[in-house]
Amino acid sequence: MSNNQYWKGLEELNKSPDFLQSKSNEFLEGIPMNEAFKEETYELSSSRRDFLKYFGFTVSSAAILAACNKAPVRNVIPYTFKPSEVVPGVANWYSSTCNACAAGCGTIVKVREGRPVKVEGNPDNKINNGALCAVGHAELLSLYDKSRFEGPLKNKVKAEISSIDKEVGQTLEEINAAKGNIVILSSTINSPSTLAAIGEFSKKYPTTKHIQYEEFSSYALLAANEKSFGKSVLPGYRFDKAKVIVSFGADFLGTWISPVQFTQQYTAGRKAINGMSRHIQFESNLSLTGSNADVRIPITPSQEGVYLLNLYNKIAASTGIPSLPVNTVEGPVNMIENTAKELLANKGKSLVVSGSNDIDIQLLVNAINIALENIGMTIDFTNFSKQKMSNDVEMEQFVADLNEGKISAVIVYGANPSYSYYNANKFKEGLKKTKLSISFATAHNETSADCTYIMPDHHSFESWNDHEAMAGQYSLTQPTIHPIFTTRQAQETLLVWAGINKDYYSFIKENCAAHVNGLNFNALVEKGFMESSTKEDPKSDKPASESNTPVVKHVAFVAPILTSKADLGVVASNLTKIDSDYKGKFQINLYEKVGVREGRMCNNPWLQELPDPISKVTWDNYVASSIVFASKNNLEDGGMVTLKGLNFGAEIPFLRQPGQANNTASVAVGYGRPRFDKMGDPIETIGKNVYGMVSFVNGAYSYNAYGATVEKAAGSYTLAQTQTHHTLEGRDHYRSTSLSKYTANPKAFQKQVEIISLWEDRDYRGHKWVMAVDLNSCTGCGSCVVACNNENNVPVVGRDQVMRGREMHWMRIDRYFTFNQFSENGSADKYRADFYKDLKVDTNNDGEANEKISDEAFENVSVGFQPMMCQHCGHAPCESVCPVLATTHSGEGLNQMTYNRCIGTKYCANNCPYKVRRFNWYRFNDHDKFDFHFNNDLGKMVINPDVTVRTRGVMEKCSFCIQRVQDAKLLAKRENRSMADGDVKTACQQTCPSGAIVFGDINDKNSDVYKLFNNERAYHVLEEIGVQPSVKYMGKVRNTFDEKA
Amino acid sequence: MYESPIREPLVTGGRTYHNITDDICRPIENKPTRAWMIGFTISAIMAAVGVYSIAYTSFKGIGVWGINKTVGWAWDITNFVWWIGIGHAGTLISAILLLFRQKWRTGVNRSAEAMTIFAVICAGLFPIFHMGRVWLAYFVLPLPNAFGSLWVNFNSPLLWDVFAISTYFSVSLLFWYIGLIPDIATVRDRAKGRARKVYGFLAVGWNGSTRNWARYELVCLILAGISTPLVLSVHTIVSMDFATSVVPGWHTTIFPPYFVAGAIFSGFGMVLTLLLVARKVMNYQNYITIGHIEAMCKVIMLTGSLVGLAYITEFFVAWYSGVQYEQYAFINRATGPYWWAYWSMMTCNVLAPQIFWSKWARTTPWFVFLIAAVVNVGMWFERFVIIVTSLHRDYLPSSWIDYSPTITEIGIFAGTLGIFFTCYFLFSKFLPVIAISEVKSVMPVPEKHDLKEAVNVH
Repeated sequence: MSNNQYWKGLEELNKSPDFLQSKSNEFLEGIPMNEAFKEETYELSSSRRDFLKYFGFTVSSAAILAACNKAPVRNVIPYTFKPSEVVPGVANWYSSTCNACAAGCGTIVKVREGRPVKVEGNPDNKINNGALCAVGHAELLSLYDKSRFEGPLKNKVKAEISSIDKEVGQTLEEINAAKGNIVILSSTINSPSTLAAIGEFSKKYPTTKHIQYEEFSSYALLAANEKSFGKSVLPGYRFDKAKVIVSFGADFLGTWISPVQFTQQYTAGRKAINGMSRHIQFESNLSLTGSNADVRIPITPSQEGVYLLNLYNKIAASTGIPSLPVNTVEGPVNMIENTAKELLANKGKSLVVSGSNDIDIQLLVNAINIALENIGMTIDFTNFSKQKMSNDVEMEQFVADLNEGKISAVIVYGANPSYSYYNANKFKEGLKKTKLSISFATAHNETSADCTYIMPDHHSFESWNDHEAMAGQYSLTQPTIHPIFTTRQAQETLLVWAGINKDYYSFIKENCAAHVNGLNFNALVEKGFMESSTKEDPKSDKPASESNTPVVKHVAFVAPILTSKADLGVVASNLTKIDSDYKGKFQINLYEKVGVREGRMCNNPWLQELPDPISKVTWDNYVASSIVFASKNNLEDGGMVTLKGLNFGAEIPFLRQPGQANNTASVAVGYGRPRFDKMGDPIETIGKNVYGMVSFVNGAYSYNAYGATVEKAAGSYTLAQTQTHHTLEGRDHYRSTSLSKYTANPKAFQKQVEIISLWEDRDYRGHKWVMAVDLNSCTGCGSCVVACNNENNVPVVGRDQVMRGREMHWMRIDRYFTFNQFSENGSADKYRADFYKDLKVDTNNDGEANEKISDEAFENVSVGFQPMMCQHCGHAPCESVCPVLATTHSGEGLNQMTYNRCIGTKYCANNCPYKVRRFNWYRFNDHDKFDFHFNNDLGKMVINPDVTVRTRGVMEKCSFCIQRVQDAKLLAKRENRSMADGDVKTACQQTCPSGAIVFGDINDKNSDVYKLFNNERAYHVLEEIGVQPSVKYMGKVRNTFDEKA
Repeated sequence: MYESPIREPLVTGGRTYHNITDDICRPIENKPTRAWMIGFTISAIMAAVGVYSIAYTSFKGIGVWGINKTVGWAWDITNFVWWIGIGHAGTLISAILLLFRQKWRTGVNRSAEAMTIFAVICAGLFPIFHMGRVWLAYFVLPLPNAFGSLWVNFNSPLLWDVFAISTYFSVSLLFWYIGLIPDIATVRDRAKGRARKVYGFLAVGWNGSTRNWARYELVCLILAGISTPLVLSVHTIVSMDFATSVVPGWHTTIFPPYFVAGAIFSGFGMVLTLLLVARKVMNYQNYITIGHIEAMCKVIMLTGSLVGLAYITEFFVAWYSGVQYEQYAFINRATGPYWWAYWSMMTCNVLAPQIFWSKWARTTPWFVFLIAAVVNVGMWFERFVIIVTSLHRDYLPSSWIDYSPTITEIGIFAGTLGIFFTCYFLFSKFLPVIAISEVKSVMPVPEKHDLKEAVNVH
């Protein structure tokens, strides 16, 4: 570069003072204000002409501005002192931990201008590896929930924190002096510091007892593990190491213990088609897990025990263990035979799990896993888990004690027994007998309404906390927003009441040192988690390696095997009795839905509008019955039924559910809680609370209602389903095959289509963004849907609009049912669902199925999930029909919407073969009729500032997260490099636990997506129309029984 | 020269030139009749309902309609196509029949042209008010703007519609108005007071000179020439809204001729519906004779058979194409949830007009009225079938959904009927419903020298 200096004139060269001064002025020559006005007298000295000039300009600009200024005035208050880390328009990401359940997934929280706007999985965390479930995403919205407590309450009247501290402290002292019992009732707590804080509290008040209570309990697992292995913990399951996975009703991909973690493990074992694991599911209701199974055997809840016993005997016979007395099973006997054969062939590489909360069943499952030598292999007690800790027996005892007046004080922290306890009235009555009842709830709930004091906890996004969800996995929650309301962290409250005046942050910091060797707290906060080094090899009992890197102190625990035959004799007789008692009788089981789960976030609009993966119903729970039962009792979809349990009765909508085991029905818990309006007042109840159907049987809560009945009731009720047609109609946009057929002909997914195009092909010189979706990995969990809603400010429209077919989701998961008939010899070798011979049965058309299909056949359906979003067609049919060019093609292959230009003819939506375009029927973001989060000031805080909020009358659709693409481009540009594969991750891809979605640049020949596009399973949906979609799907391969068994 | 011993006379009842002027000007000069008042009031109320429904939609959002994520067009575009189709008879009668020298057109062309204009007004409301952001409707006009190359999309059939319909409307209006000028002048000459001034203004100085007549004839011919392609092009372009799409059931090359035939079919249905009432109420049996009615019935029979052929061809091509989506679309039309719409269409459009093979059916006014009404219903169903049953089950079964209209959509449709009839009632009260000058040119000629004049006219 030349060093020559150029100057404009001698003034500049000489740097004369006049020049230097004039250079600093904005206008070189100054503004002739003085010429216009005499400063002293304010007299006009300008000419008439000048005056008119100024006057004209002033008046017209005032008129223009006045005409423009129709929008309501809103005050934006700037920072007086801007924090150094906040740059307007630039997001900060903070690592934290998800508190939506106790699975302990690591998160990173996107914070814009001081408010968290999105949560994503922390890619470095070993529990979830960057993925997150729908509930984890939706947890963010509960931060901005109008039903949150704005401050402490005493008897529903506002109170001061200090006065409550004083009163409660006094009462606690009195109780302590009288040796009254104090109970802290919480949900699962695996936070060492929280437990320490409770410990401090217990030190001060020695009569304190901490009881953990889960609404949907896994206590039987803990109890059985205690009996079998001597420790009341959950094992670390390794679905990735299992070649054969047999699940008895455990919905481990959807709701069971740690679904994100398990989904990742599960798909890891199935990514490589050759050598994929085989998954056999025995269950009553069609769960998300069952719908992904290679072989699914519908059984009634009462049959579970006897099936397991038979399986045990088959395995025992081959391994030389004495067998147990058992009833023979009805139905396809070969399925048990085949399953046993599969398991025995994969000793140490198999895994049997059960979702039942029956201790006998869990003992039997343990025995089977022991016989199969799975302990230490696929069931890892070295890295055990505390992801679901509860004690049903203690809870029962506690409620009994409450009613006997033995408990003086109850502190409810995270649990909601007034809603979820099966005999809620008993709990409520008991609670009244206490001297002191305190709730730490963050938002209004049934139990907080029954408590005298409400000392609201910070929301998890406002809190510090630590977690040890799995042994050796230590992670932190850090606050990402200043507390919105007058709240105090529950742990801190406990510490204050324990007389320790220390904020919880310092408490964690100290407590943390005890857990982590070589702690650098700030580094830990930044990273979000630490792990012990023994993680990788579950069999190893070596201590943590001696290195300088900080590691979590973690005592290895190798399970001794304690099960004896004597135990199993009782187990066998118990289970046989259940089978004999209820054989052939109608049965109902309770289950958790993937979105709403146990019901804590029942009023969360994102979760309510997330369609159930199986039924595609939003905003409701319902009795889902088998088709046989429906026909027999003349029940139809959209009718009401009376559901009766032992001490329970409710009117609830009815739905016929293919896949539901014959003569059974299922109903989801977690519903029947109110929705709140923008003032925080309850306005309507969503669904029905069926926790009353739970019973306490044999030392644990049972979610099977054997004696329940379902009868037709008066009235009709339409369930809001996002999909009302359930079969493929013989079309091949969803392609699946069995492993043997795939191995024989890997090209089976390809269709020879000769496309003649009248259009010129586009030339993509730079990037060409495309997406690959692996149907074999996708489990249909719906995490991507909620992530997309959050990322792209997709409005929630409510039940009524969903019923009208107007949900706004940019991403949906299409679900198709196909038949898999058992052949006469009992093996499921005939997938009548094969994609060229799909049965044309319209299960939704007034129930008139093809004559050949009997009602019984409907329990044997297999399910296909297909995520569907804008396909960003190369020759997009939407683009050519828009009269105003509001939707156009970008040079990088994206089909883009210009909201400002859209006039809303809906022509593009009509012409979209994939029907992915969504129209803003109303102004959803500001409309009293759609009183969801978009409609109040608090809820609006979740809006992603990077994405326009659409107004009414415009079309919208998936943009391939264009804002993320732009962001990554800018980053690469700033770093002066070209973009690398993986720089851009769409919101759906980022969160997908199964890694089914891959986004990238097809022009980059080394990209993952390029490789996937050339995969032999990859095909375009509706290729033959010639729209040249940018999304390829990889066909589903089912590892069915017909090849090896 | 039209008069001939073997032809039926076009004007019956031995009317003289003076009688004709009297007959046709009578409703304009007299107070409105009771029947007119009742009819007008009902129409005006319906129009008010329509205006309310449109306003409601515009203020609340398109959400007040029954359409959804899959069925983006339903009653709105059904009504649009229906109304546009109805307009076509007017243009056909005034332009093509003029060029083909079909003298019988003179009795009916005026009201048919008026009908065209009112129908196009009604039709035009739908594409405008079906927009999500109707206040930005001007975006569809290729206006110069300050946004650089921001232009409209000339690929979009919806844009073609904008041009087609605006052209159609302006040409039709011009044609109609030019044709009215001599008759308005006649009314002016007979009127007194303020009416004379108004009609005088509207008559734009017509003085009946030879020069006036020569120019008038020439302009009419030129406009007829311009209008003729419009008869074919407008509905062709409307049909391309569907034909150029990828939706099974829409994507069909047969649509342009099929739509044009259907348009003429429905247009004549509507002309008959209106004229059969008008001729009775206004005592115009001598001008709108059974001969007129019969001729129009024949057109209906022909075009009805044409659309029937089109329906069958569609089915054949769907089968012959081997495309499963196409096949399903047509099977779904006949047997799916909207089977009743399909079979209503088949019955009304294909079967019903076949009755006109019988001369009795063609020449019995009440019966013709009945069939004409049936034809209009059938053609409405045709558009409904094409639009809704194609959309509601297209490619991916996951998005299949049913549609039913809301009260607002029904209100808008009723409103356009109201607007149409209100305009028609006003027209029949204030303007000559039959072209006085043209009818005079085709009436039986009593004297030789009159005959010569008549020859000179044409």
